Amino acid sequence: MDGKLGKHIVRFVPLLLLFGLLGLPLLLLVFQWLTGANGAGLLSFINGDTFALIGNSLLISSTVAVLATFMGTVCGFWLYKFKLAYCGLYKLLLLLPLLISPYIFAVAWKDGFYWLFGNSSSIYSEYGVIMVHTFAFFPLAMLITGSALSRIHTGFEEAGLMVVSFRKTVLKIMLPLIRPALTISFLLILIFSLSDFSVPAFFGVRTFTAEIFTQFSALYNFSLATGQSILLLIVIFALMLIEAHYLSDAPFFSISEKGTNSKQYTVKRPFAAHLVLCMLLILVLLTPVFMLALQSLSGRVFFFAKAWELIRPASIQSLKLASAGALLVTLIGLWSAYVKERKKHRWPDFILLLTFIVPPTVLGIALIRYYNLPSLNFIYGTSMIILIAWLGKFGFIASRIIGNGIKQIPVSFEEAASVIGIRPIDRFFKISLPLLVPSIFTAFVLAFILCLGELGATMMVYPPGMELMPVKTFTIGANAPQALTSSMTLISLAITLLSITLFFILGKWVFKKYRYA
Amino acid sequence: MHKITFEHIAHYYGEKETLNDFSISFERGKTTCLLGPSGCGKTTLLRLIAGLEKPSNGVVKIEGTIVSRKKEIIVPPHKRKIGFIFQDLALWPHFNVYQNIAFGLKEKKQKNIKSKVAGLLDLFGIGDKARKYPHELSGGQKQMVAVARSLAVQPEILLMDEPLANIDTHLKENILQHLRTIQHERQFTLLYVTHDHREAMKIADYILVMDRGKIVAAGTKEEIRCSSIEFVKSFLNN
Repeated sequence: MDGKLGKHIVRFVPLLLLFGLLGLPLLLLVFQWLTGANGAGLLSFINGDTFALIGNSLLISSTVAVLATFMGTVCGFWLYKFKLAYCGLYKLLLLLPLLISPYIFAVAWKDGFYWLFGNSSSIYSEYGVIMVHTFAFFPLAMLITGSALSRIHTGFEEAGLMVVSFRKTVLKIMLPLIRPALTISFLLILIFSLSDFSVPAFFGVRTFTAEIFTQFSALYNFSLATGQSILLLIVIFALMLIEAHYLSDAPFFSISEKGTNSKQYTVKRPFAAHLVLCMLLILVLLTPVFMLALQSLSGRVFFFAKAWELIRPASIQSLKLASAGALLVTLIGLWSAYVKERKKHRWPDFILLLTFIVPPTVLGIALIRYYNLPSLNFIYGTSMIILIAWLGKFGFIASRIIGNGIKQIPVSFEEAASVIGIRPIDRFFKISLPLLVPSIFTAFVLAFILCLGELGATMMVYPPGMELMPVKTFTIGANAPQALTSSMTLISLAITLLSITLFFILGKWVFKKYRYA
Repeated sequence: MHKITFEHIAHYYGEKETLNDFSISFERGKTTCLLGPSGCGKTTLLRLIAGLEKPSNGVVKIEGTIVSRKKEIIVPPHKRKIGFIFQDLALWPHFNVYQNIAFGLKEKKQKNIKSKVAGLLDLFGIGDKARKYPHELSGGQKQMVAVARSLAVQPEILLMDEPLANIDTHLKENILQHLRTIQHERQFTLLYVTHDHREAMKIADYILVMDRGKIVAAGTKEEIRCSSIEFVKSFLNN
């Protein structure tokens, strides 16, 4: 009886806590919308302009999703299916845009257009948003499709090559086999693009998410912002329902190649392949960095010292909070993944999936409306509310990465321990956990980098007196000289890249120590 | 009293039926081979005995005590005094050979662990591999370690799920010889899953032939060899 009670406590108390922290705020948002219309009708805010705005947002995001998925799939194919020198380095460098806030690229490309064409007015359009989002999100498609391509069994491809050409094998065998990965990539990028307000807001393009942000933060029209948030939620859920099953099991990426038996092809013209990949790197990574550096140095006043003075306290606070956020996200992700994979208990993962696909602006509004009570001020008025927002945004990613790691540990490892009398807690700590170190490390690093650059939800919920790097850069950009904004953005980028480099070095040691062939 | 008894056991994986109204007893200290084609329920039967699966219906008894019944595990796996050698061996990759074998002994806070492990390693001729990790061993050595690990905790029942598939006959003979010696000394009950009838004929006291979750035939080696049941004849001839 005691054992059963203990099991139920372990199972349900964290679930209730997670639901209370993240699920209830979203439910409350819907409840407030349903009860707060004052007889004016729940959908009274919907008019021609609303539809035009949603249509425009969907058009931009769909274009981004198509372009980024295509670009990512091509890169994934080249880097995962061909034997190419420095393949790992290309993968790492092409992954970087995903880890850097799209807002940084927006600032950089604005500078780039000014430098290249003499004025930057042409980037202040839907095309600018599409370009920046495509370059920022294509690595996601590269990871997902590349991972799927590397899991195709050699036999399937070789059987195809026996009867048709390589080109037809790709089109008729490989692409149909990775259809779920292509769909997931498309959907995730569509949702990410639809959710981001920072780039459209920076380029002055009206999108639905940017409109919600404006209504809530600038015009204080809470009821309209809530209604619009619900509408956006409905759109996102409708999109998600299409492939909910695939999305809930989306691997993002697998850090181990155990069990893969994938065929790799020889590149006929390696020089051309390197040239294309280098050009892509220049376009998506080096040009923006170069532009930021150039713009930072172009002003009459050298702005670096001023930028550093402004951003230094924010960066220290950001690094500390991102560490705490990553720890929380990883711990909850580990628990959620473990109970899902080993106990077939899917609710924590479902709650994290739900908050993951909710646009950060909407999540921010939900959290503010839920926690803005005197009794909850210890959360609302402190950095805890930011940690909760980050948990909502990135918990699902950590859960999937660790879940992949758990899937690769045969159940028989734990069963063998169970049969010889090892207690469940010891089985977890002495058998499963040591084998999961690489996955946990990867989840932590990714969560850290994402928390460090998160703007959407942080912008909505950050409490007074708290200065965080992306928020500081975004807010100061509205009134400061361009060179100062660029300098601050460049420093933010440098801090992010430095963190990635340090983790990469540490990761090499971790993977070497905890890799069991 | 029989060591293990199944009474009207049924088992489902989702919608798929793996065992159907299955009743049988296994004698203490004897070797029983479970013989049958892939997917006939042999592994499920072992997992039910080990307490790694719950029966959908019926009762599992060990020494007359109910250990599992309909959708319920009454005695957890580690209290059943069982050794289990898995098909994939399940050697923990982050432990070396010594640690793999000693792990269960340490958790049970047994004395003289070093000498017990050393004795087993010597018995199987892998004394020099104590500090090696599983990925540094050959297939046969891994199998030796798996057997040694399961014997270390001195089980009263040893369950072997086709652990000696894919190794050469000489090595298989060697391992089985060691196993028989230890079984003779310790008198544990051995249940050995295989789809190779020649192997079964060599080591079994009793043979249980299964097909699609049901017992087709059960008896001594001679009884099975002379069986007039069409499925048994066909299986043995193939």
